[in-house]
Amino acid sequence: MKLDVRGEICPYPQVKTVAALKKLAPSDQLEVLTDHPPALETVPAQAARLGYVAEIAEVGTAEWCIVLRKG
Amino acid sequence: MSTPDVAQRSVRSSAASRARSFNIARGVAAAAAAFVILVGTASIDRLLAVFWLFGLAFGFVLQRSRFCFASAFRDLFLLGDTRVMKGIIAGLAVATAGFAVLMARLLPEVGFGSLPPGATVLPLGIHTLVGGVLFGIGMVLAGGCTSGSLYRVGEGYVGSMVALLGIMLGLEISSHTWNWWWESHISHAPRIWFPEQLGYLGGTLLTFGALLLCFLAVSWWEFRTSIMLPPKRDEVHAASSLGEHLRALGHTVFVKGWPVVVGGVALATLNVYLYTYRHPWGVVAGLGIWADKFASAFNLGAGELLGRSSLAGCAFEPDTASALGHMPLLNLGVIAGAFIAASLASEFKLRVPKQPLRYVQSIGGGVLMGYSAGLALGCTVGAFFSAIPSLALNGWVFAGALAVGAYIGVKVLNRIP
Repeated sequence: MKLDVRGEICPYPQVKTVAALKKLAPSDQLEVLTDHPPALETVPAQAARLGYVAEIAEVGTAEWCIVLRKG
Repeated sequence: MSTPDVAQRSVRSSAASRARSFNIARGVAAAAAAFVILVGTASIDRLLAVFWLFGLAFGFVLQRSRFCFASAFRDLFLLGDTRVMKGIIAGLAVATAGFAVLMARLLPEVGFGSLPPGATVLPLGIHTLVGGVLFGIGMVLAGGCTSGSLYRVGEGYVGSMVALLGIMLGLEISSHTWNWWWESHISHAPRIWFPEQLGYLGGTLLTFGALLLCFLAVSWWEFRTSIMLPPKRDEVHAASSLGEHLRALGHTVFVKGWPVVVGGVALATLNVYLYTYRHPWGVVAGLGIWADKFASAFNLGAGELLGRSSLAGCAFEPDTASALGHMPLLNLGVIAGAFIAASLASEFKLRVPKQPLRYVQSIGGGVLMGYSAGLALGCTVGAFFSAIPSLALNGWVFAGALAVGAYIGVKVLNRIP
């Protein structure tokens, strides 16, 4: 599943990611496209609480893709 | 792997490194311009140069550590996350130690009703509570507090630019109702400064004790609402050369995000050092001057504000204050410092919210923040981050009210898609 939260103000990138994770099928992965630096700190911790591992890759200037998989 | 695939990858990565070089060049150019302004202001007035420089430093640290008071309070209730709040507590502890020493030098004899000049000891009353709660709601809705909005303007967040306009509008509205608040509440509200009764040592120990309690409470809260995670440890690589080591260091400082505790401690240290020049950090004073100048240009100014000249902290400077005076210059410095930091890290981007509702939130939240900061005589910086280290009870009361407001704000936020 892909989630594009670019342009969103705080705390929507984090909030929408957590909401999407809760709806995700266990075998599925979530790809979050964000331009919000605080999300890079908060999302991995929140994802870990739900049992997901986060991988962050820079995909553009101030744009990152956070890939969340069941860990 | 097919050849076109590899070719595509290398085109993308060379575009990325071109973009990075451009960003770094822009950051260096901005830093050079900031230095020119520093030298220019120094030739006019040393205090202006000092406040510009500290603004740059605050802005740089805020951007690098993604430091936001709004997120500290909000994330407690929204996500059960205490990371940023712990960073603030660390900062408050460091600033308290520094302010105590400084105040003891400014006013060695206590117990006679005087206050050290510049300390953010403010009249404490209903207006502090109302101000704090409304500010808490506003900062959650707007997605950032006052300092948070300033630094995010430097990062390119259009939402924060809108919020900043809202804050100034709120401050101006607040001026128009100020005289009522002054006469009904603020003029006879007491100022409670711990060293008056307890001495500096007593006041400082009391504050440290309260901060420790807050740290324990916040840790308990995190434990209660979710699994506590051990802190992440970055992998350690042995660098093979000095050049590689320096490059990695440069990456850690200028590109990677800073741990929030580092940010908190750095901001606190800067705050102590700034206080040695005139008074501690505040944001609303500068914004209020701009709002007032703008309103006055349309003959919509609030006129005489009773009692303001007797107040410290983020109270309005006298009408003669310039729109580029030391407090406004401090705010401009924050925006510039954040812009420099963001550029060097390739994190500057014009972020435009797509939903119209976000603009409503930003303006509405901003107006709430501006109005309430006018009441409370300060925001999360002046009435909290500088007030608690000033060993003033108003800082704690405002903090409690901020927490209540953030809680309400989260409840409201959960209903907004």
